[in-house]
Amino acid sequence: MRRRIPLILVLVTGIFGAVAFFIPHHSIQAADESMRNDVQRIIAAFSLVLGVGSILAHHFTKIQRRTANWQYSWVTVVTLFVSAVIGLFGGIDPARPGILPTHIGSFSFHMQTLYMNMMVPLAATMFSLLAFFMASAAYRAFRARNFSATLLLAAAFVLMLGAVPLGRMIFHPLPSFAEWILAVPNTAAKRGINFGIQLGILATSLKILLGIERGWLGGG
Amino acid sequence: MLSSVFSFLLAAVLSPPAGVSAGDVPNDGGGNIEVTWARSTDTTVIGYRVLRQTQSSEQWETLGFVGRRSLKYDDDGARNGVQYRYKVIAESNAETAEAPPSGYAVASSQWFDTNTLPALIGTALLSFILLHFINRARKDKNLFIRRIAGLDAVDEALGRATEMGRPTLYVPGTSSIADVATIASLNILGEVAKKTAKFGTPLIVPNTDPVVYTVAREVVKESYTTAGRPDAFTQDIVFFVTDQQFAFAAAVDGIMTREKPATNFLIGMFYAEALILAETGSGTGAVQIAGTDAVSQLPFFITACDYTLIGEELYAASAYLSREPLLLGGIKGQDYSKALIVGVIVLGTLLALLAGLPVLKYL
Amino acid sequence: MMNFWTKLQALDRRWIYLVVWLVVMVPLIFPFKIRPVATPPVQSLFNYIDTMPENKALIISIDYAPASQAELQPMLIALLRHAFAVHRKVGVLSIEVQGLGIGEDALRQVAAEFNSHARTNADSVLNGRDYVYWGWTTPYITVMLGMGQRIARVFPVDYYGQKTESLPIMKHLKNYDDAGILVSVAASAYPLSWINLAQTQFGIHLGCGCTAVSAADYYPYVNSGQFSGMLSGMKGAAEYEELLERRMAQTGMDWGLRRKGTEAMSSQAAAHLAIIAFIIIGNIAFFITRRRKS
Repeated sequence: MRRRIPLILVLVTGIFGAVAFFIPHHSIQAADESMRNDVQRIIAAFSLVLGVGSILAHHFTKIQRRTANWQYSWVTVVTLFVSAVIGLFGGIDPARPGILPTHIGSFSFHMQTLYMNMMVPLAATMFSLLAFFMASAAYRAFRARNFSATLLLAAAFVLMLGAVPLGRMIFHPLPSFAEWILAVPNTAAKRGINFGIQLGILATSLKILLGIERGWLGGG
Repeated sequence: MLSSVFSFLLAAVLSPPAGVSAGDVPNDGGGNIEVTWARSTDTTVIGYRVLRQTQSSEQWETLGFVGRRSLKYDDDGARNGVQYRYKVIAESNAETAEAPPSGYAVASSQWFDTNTLPALIGTALLSFILLHFINRARKDKNLFIRRIAGLDAVDEALGRATEMGRPTLYVPGTSSIADVATIASLNILGEVAKKTAKFGTPLIVPNTDPVVYTVAREVVKESYTTAGRPDAFTQDIVFFVTDQQFAFAAAVDGIMTREKPATNFLIGMFYAEALILAETGSGTGAVQIAGTDAVSQLPFFITACDYTLIGEELYAASAYLSREPLLLGGIKGQDYSKALIVGVIVLGTLLALLAGLPVLKYL
Repeated sequence: MMNFWTKLQALDRRWIYLVVWLVVMVPLIFPFKIRPVATPPVQSLFNYIDTMPENKALIISIDYAPASQAELQPMLIALLRHAFAVHRKVGVLSIEVQGLGIGEDALRQVAAEFNSHARTNADSVLNGRDYVYWGWTTPYITVMLGMGQRIARVFPVDYYGQKTESLPIMKHLKNYDDAGILVSVAASAYPLSWINLAQTQFGIHLGCGCTAVSAADYYPYVNSGQFSGMLSGMKGAAEYEELLERRMAQTGMDWGLRRKGTEAMSSQAAAHLAIIAFIIIGNIAFFITRRRKS
């Protein structure tokens, strides 16, 4: 019973979701929209509660056991509560303040200020690591070990040189050739991979709907 | 003189649009009626005003004004089941010219979108092939599928972690549970968790989506119970970190550099953080097995990881690891479906080539 | 000597990070001029917007968060400048909630650029008359489908709280039929959703501005014509800026506006060359080591 109810739910809602793609009738579309927007959001909201509970349990355990770097767990927990309080009661920005004061003189720590001055630069910094990691990964892994690796290397050279003015100086049609590599062989390969992926998605979805694939339920 | 006056009068009268007709917009949920007309022959027309009348009323309601190049108007405020008719008036700077109104039209909802018929046929055909092979697998349990190096390496990688006394890190992607790649990853997590339970290897599973976290927790708990080690499961193993993409990448990088797992599994849907995770893992000396259907991230995983499951190999993984006949049958079905698609592409290409042959003009 | 090549193969990655940092930083301080040449997808998009009928508007969807701002903001700015330079109306929305502030920044900047050079009211760029910023709403499927019927119903008020229907621009921008093209500037897979939902159902022309890493994914759609053009990463933005500068010069708008995409190209070019050099050095070390071993 414990496994049968989720399987029946998955079958019914999955078939309904698939059928809603083919039936434009307003009653079906309204029900589908309700499932996608309302039901999914309610589930996500409740699981967010579980998620926050998980963070707190995880870090309080670290603090209790005094595991390595347990002090940073306090930073996490305190930051979680402070930003939650500011977000709920402190208002969005100076033009739209909340019930709690969130500025000292001209220094403000509203949600928007925190977001734009902390989250955004931190996220951009992490994103910028990609440039360094790409260089180190390319240095380590791009070796002409065999024919296909050499072909890959040659394509990478053409594309990188084609993107800079030096490429045009070395060989005038090089940028056009780089464009051709992207537009023809790359597109063909991606289309082939996409066919396989979409078939895999269809097969996995069918197996989940029919209860053949049950790993997601827990166990076999 | 009379004839010239008469010509002048004729020239001054604006010519109205012709053939105003209204009809229900097909393949929709109702509420839409399309009004079409033929262009006025007058070049001084600047646009057309569209009006609407219900059967029960004498009043004409103005709906809108469209430019002179437009020859249709979509009335998206119609109520289903109500009879409407429409009038279109051509307007110039000085004059207007009204066409006879259209016949009555009624908006209605359709029960089938005929534009999706090819998708329905394709889905039905491919589903039939899949189900046929799944059914065949019940009788013939020895179905062959080719070796997938990344999946063969799972046991070896977990064994390495056990010998070194270091944990195994499993990241189930950074997408939601609605993504099929995430579900495929959770299926693989179940198999990996059974092995880590059996070997006694510590497992770390950070999550970026709260729903995925709850499912992953149940999957791992059930796997430990199935492996006969329910006591070894703790709440610490599976935890939620954050739903922010780069904050999650930073957190996982921190786990990699502090805990130094011997084996990293990066399996699921990834975005720009893929290389950040893979390269940091590579820097700690871990064996890395990645798998994603995010085509743009595959090159990064192939460069930075030891084994990569490309696209549909990710979906084949749970069947490959569990060796369950029904799941293997699904993979066979996928392969035959792909063969069918390739056959159709080749046939279509040949036909297109033949249709373009000059010699056919003479046949 | 053998030791040197072996050590080179196992070079500490921090030396690589240091070199990459230098080749990116130095050109930013001492830039060298690059005049990018437009590739066909960029030229297509430019030509399409440049030759749009007068009564058609450009719609831009900001589908990225601040993390991708460095790479995608230059193309957003360039698209806005182009539309205003050829006197086309512009509607801007954001599918990504974190993109709201980005859109406002860009519109304010470009409007200020044009207004500082305007001699008459007609030359000015005014909110509500020449552009509208609809803001953000959810879910995105409803936005993409709803805009095909009536935009004002999807966004009853704009970002600034004004009733959308009351804005003069909205008399000529009711739905996709009034738009010449919609350009999705995205760091994720939203352009594909625009194809699936907006283009398949309503037939609107689409363009795409994307990060360089995603561009390879979208070439199939450019080849099939589903995208009327594409700007790929900073290079795509720089190419568009080059075309735009020439176009604006033709109509006397030689204002010397800042081209952030082009400015970054010197760093990008230097970084590309550095990575090529690393790969060559690594392969030389690999071959020498392999030959000595055998």
